[in-house]
Amino acid sequence: MVQMHAFYVFLGAGGLLVVAFLYVALSTRNARDINVRTAYSLRTKFFIVVLAVLGLGMGMTLGKTPYPKGNELPDKVVFVVGKQFSFALSDTPITNDQEYEARTYGTPVEVRAGSLIEFRVTSLDVNHSFAVYSPDDHLLAQTQAMPGYVNRLRVRFTEPGRHYVLCLELCGMGHHRMRGVFDVK
Amino acid sequence: MTAAAAEPGLWSEAELAKFRRMTLVWGITVLLLLPILALLGYFMRLYQSGAFSGLRAEWFYAVLTLHSLGMVGTWFVGSMAGVSYLLLKYARPSLAVSKFAYGGTLVGVVLLIACTLGGLFGTGWYFLYPLPLYAQGVWAPWATFTFFAALAILGVSWTIWTLDILRAIAQRYSLGAALGWNYVVGKPGHELPPLVLITTVSLIVSLSGLAAAVVVIALFGARALGVNVDPLLMKNLTFFFGHDLVNITMYLGVAMVYDLLPTYAGRPWNTNRVVAMAWGAVLFLVLFAFFHHLYMDFAQPTWIQKFGQICSYLLAVPAGVVSIFGTLALVYASRMRWTLASTFFFLGILGWGLGGIAAVIDSTVEVNFHFHNTLWVPAHFHTYYLMGVVLIILGFIDHAGKELSGLEEKASLSKLTTALLLIGGYGFLFMFYWGGVRSVPRRYAIYPQEVMQGTLYARVAVGFITLLLLGILLYLWETGKRCLKALG
Repeated sequence: MVQMHAFYVFLGAGGLLVVAFLYVALSTRNARDINVRTAYSLRTKFFIVVLAVLGLGMGMTLGKTPYPKGNELPDKVVFVVGKQFSFALSDTPITNDQEYEARTYGTPVEVRAGSLIEFRVTSLDVNHSFAVYSPDDHLLAQTQAMPGYVNRLRVRFTEPGRHYVLCLELCGMGHHRMRGVFDVK
Repeated sequence: MTAAAAEPGLWSEAELAKFRRMTLVWGITVLLLLPILALLGYFMRLYQSGAFSGLRAEWFYAVLTLHSLGMVGTWFVGSMAGVSYLLLKYARPSLAVSKFAYGGTLVGVVLLIACTLGGLFGTGWYFLYPLPLYAQGVWAPWATFTFFAALAILGVSWTIWTLDILRAIAQRYSLGAALGWNYVVGKPGHELPPLVLITTVSLIVSLSGLAAAVVVIALFGARALGVNVDPLLMKNLTFFFGHDLVNITMYLGVAMVYDLLPTYAGRPWNTNRVVAMAWGAVLFLVLFAFFHHLYMDFAQPTWIQKFGQICSYLLAVPAGVVSIFGTLALVYASRMRWTLASTFFFLGILGWGLGGIAAVIDSTVEVNFHFHNTLWVPAHFHTYYLMGVVLIILGFIDHAGKELSGLEEKASLSKLTTALLLIGGYGFLFMFYWGGVRSVPRRYAIYPQEVMQGTLYARVAVGFITLLLLGILLYLWETGKRCLKALG
């Protein structure tokens, strides 16, 4: 899970920083003059290490962005509209408020596990965030639902079951109530 | 020390006394706002823990807006007042402008309280377009108008204040000299204090951010007149402004540490080529790092998203290698005079570093896909705010209070204060981090069934915040006494 990996990286790097600060604070019990040249040399080494770590991080992650790639076609398209305070999901485009109302309370959309699904996400009013949660309540994927724009979110689901959609962008008094559902078969 | 060591002939004693008094007024105002705004944060975590089930959720979002805007503004003015005071050694900022900024800040704060607690305006601190115009009957048009009036007044006051400090620096240093370019090309000439270098870099960035805020407010006005406004453009402008303002506050805090920590460590911290190059890099990189706020806007071109990650990563290099390493090298094996102020400076840089690590992790597009707008976000910005720049500014106020009142601190009380702030602060933050890992959304008044674990985390956090508040109260009691005595 990406979240846990990120947490471990944070604990590791943060832990090293805390140890360094603790070590330096304790060193003041034994005050002495230090060699500035040694400090500058250490800084250069530290600079190289930090650059190498960040370079490695960029190298490992920059190619893994969630944005649609031009040469890949989705197996199914799901149209999504956010509006204060619900999401409507549909197999066909939602073009007005009536269709939005009908799809908000309609039968949940079904998608197949293992196939590439493209959600075309927009909003009829303010910014929302279309965040997909797995049946065991983990955040799997998200994109913003923005008025005037369509964001294309592609996901390949592995786990069958009812998936939930929550809004992660503050959109008004009912923000925490905003939701949608779909089923992965 | 600080103002007492101003260059001969720069100030008369009477002028210095007036400026010191104004600094104390700013400091005491910050000390008054801190517990009120902290209590609003306490209220929010209590609300999320289910303690106010009879109270409508609109109150949560209104309080969230006031807490976040109030905190961002309070620490911005705190850092500006601190830097102005320390600059008295080298330049002549205007006392009248500082008073004008104070008046504007007070009016802005009153209007913000009116529109949030009086009008339930609840869009969050970055009021993402077009939410303020979609009230759903919760807040009235007057509240929206009052909110933008408050922003406009604060924006004008702070822009004039920023311009005046830059003017004061420009009267002593040319632009190239103030940005350390002489050091970069290997001809340092007249010595440039790091405080002046960092303040110049920060305030130039600040001006660009404030200009973006003006454009955002003007475009909201245009929309009210029926003009179509692009939501993606508004989002870019909003985050450019917001990201800059928050970063500038931190950089100004770091500038204070560059200036004051050497007086406690007994070693100099001078500008050199590496320091000048590092802050030059910051001036460029910080202008583009804000793109990481828009990773989940897939309509934004992919190359911009990747550029945002690269700039966000690289921004960590000058900060980490120069300022954090510099702090450690300065203190290592020094004859450090550990007081409440110097401890807060040292811990503040640690908090800045820890929050920075969490921020860099979240600025990775692949990770942000899973962390964006979860509790990981308040986790990292509270780390570099609360345990970073807030500690630094509180350290500065304590330093100035002691310097101007002559009242010394009690070591045992200082240790207890620090322990309460550390345990309460980092305990509170850990519940945010863990909530982010467990996919709990940020800014939810009530957690629905799917993320019900957020309620439990909020309850645990409330315990830690109680310790944190005790630490804050202890600090206020001690430091407040010194500031009030100095004020006479």
